[in-house]
Amino acid sequence: MSNNTEKYNFQKDVPTIWCPGCGLFMIKKAMMDSFNELGWTNKNTVVVSGIGCTGRGAGYFNVDSLHTTHGRAIPVAEGIKLANPKLNVIVFSGDGDLFGIGGNHLLHASRRNIDITVVCNSNLIYGLTGGQMSPETPKGLKTLTTPDGAPYNPIRVQKIMMANKQHFYARTLASDINHIKDSIKKAVAWPGFAYVKVESFCITNFGRKLGYKNAAEMVVARKKEFTYQEKENVLKRTELGIVHS
Amino acid sequence: MFISGNEAISKGCIAAGASYLAGYPITPASDIMVYWLENLKKDERIFLQTEDEIAAMHSIIGASLAGRKAFTPTSGPGFSLMQEGLGLAFAYRAPLVLVNVMRQGPSTGMPTLFSQDEIMQTQFGTHGDHTAIVFYPNSVQECFDLAIDSFNAACESSSPVILLSDAYLARMYENVNLQTDKKIANYPFEGVGTGTRHFTGLTNDNGRPDTKNEKTFVKWMDRIRKPIFETAEKYSMYDYHKNSDSDTLVISFGTTSRIVSEWKKEFALFRPIRLFPVLEKELNEAAKNYKNVVLIEGNYGQYTQVVQAALKREVRHVGVLGGKIDPNQIYQQVKDVLKK
Repeated sequence: MSNNTEKYNFQKDVPTIWCPGCGLFMIKKAMMDSFNELGWTNKNTVVVSGIGCTGRGAGYFNVDSLHTTHGRAIPVAEGIKLANPKLNVIVFSGDGDLFGIGGNHLLHASRRNIDITVVCNSNLIYGLTGGQMSPETPKGLKTLTTPDGAPYNPIRVQKIMMANKQHFYARTLASDINHIKDSIKKAVAWPGFAYVKVESFCITNFGRKLGYKNAAEMVVARKKEFTYQEKENVLKRTELGIVHS
Repeated sequence: MFISGNEAISKGCIAAGASYLAGYPITPASDIMVYWLENLKKDERIFLQTEDEIAAMHSIIGASLAGRKAFTPTSGPGFSLMQEGLGLAFAYRAPLVLVNVMRQGPSTGMPTLFSQDEIMQTQFGTHGDHTAIVFYPNSVQECFDLAIDSFNAACESSSPVILLSDAYLARMYENVNLQTDKKIANYPFEGVGTGTRHFTGLTNDNGRPDTKNEKTFVKWMDRIRKPIFETAEKYSMYDYHKNSDSDTLVISFGTTSRIVSEWKKEFALFRPIRLFPVLEKELNEAAKNYKNVVLIEGNYGQYTQVVQAALKREVRHVGVLGGKIDPNQIYQQVKDVLKK
């Protein structure tokens, strides 16, 4: 089965702009695997990205794909889905893009419950621009723009999603491809707006500043932060799983 | 049919085959949405009221790439918010129509009153260096006709087209013939979800990003700019009233051009209908016969500068400011600038 996933890979531009050891490779692989298992083809699938490291993601899929402006992947995807409801529309972007500059769109597209799936590479930082604080940077951590530690509590997207009467929120981990894949497949099957947060990592512009020597060290550390929760209850900050209603 | 300018625009968009509208309420453009909804059956239209104009613009880009003729109506501040998406639409070469019903700015300004404030914003409001085809009607009939032309030009050039209107034209009621013999252009490419194309705002060669190569950049910009100029040639629309007894050519457009039509005996009159790309040849051809050129517009001289550059000679500006259109006062202003 794994060989079949390569058809979703846009070979011409590999290697990507992503750094060695980036969580994005795993997420992309998990996305391709789930496309394959869902039977999606380039005749029914569109991937839409915003800006940033993850923003380049759309261009690495061998289907019609869009690399939009910063924060606007969701409204563009909404336009595509409304214009042609038969399409499988998936948004692939980062935390800064989706709920920094694009927060208003996330808020309202989820409320309108448009049937798209959003996969977020939550690396807790603006990576491509060098490592500035993102809406998800944990309080106290040093970044380029917060030399004394991030002064604010990070955004709690689960709570934002749960404010909607109907909602689907999944939290998964970049180092667990199977868990990402299962989360995406469940999100796609969900009839309405589905949000998959992948707890990811950026070694180059965040991890090194935090003292990790390499990506593997950071992966292990992030892995230790989380436990799996199967009950589909409201997720604690350190729990991976799914909440929906 | 006795309808308003806004209703004529929505009917024109329908006649052109527009099946997708995303918008955000703003005076005096909102009723274009309402008329469009009233005039189409539920299964013939897709409508999205967005959270802001940024989303409206990006949503019509998505719908456009998915193969639908899409448009959004807005006014001043909303037009500013749409500029970001407009840049992306040019990069994507997405055919769509943006209707800007101008009101008196800046900011909330005089939201129910006329202005012609956003003439230059149609060209230089967004990031990147490219021009947009811009039409500006001066009657309700033309609102209808030019809405169709806007969609045709958008599809033919595979680019965004801007249709200007203003607060008075929006609410003006006139008798309109809704039968049109205009050919309706087909949508220029197959919608997304059918292949392996990559649409990106990065400098690219057929979808492959190449961001460090000036040759790719020039090729890319040519691909964006050339169809716009080529298509514009087909829409070199203007009104010219010759007057061999006069030494003065009066240029005006949109609502203000309706006042000067009374002055045919005294002046020669020119009204560009396609504001951009500028009708350089036609303007020069008309202006060469007159000693003076006066331009009347609802701002502090935006198009005056454009025409001055096109004619390479002095153009005297008459401003219709603060939303007030008083024919006698404007006539006096024309007389005054001619004395200088």
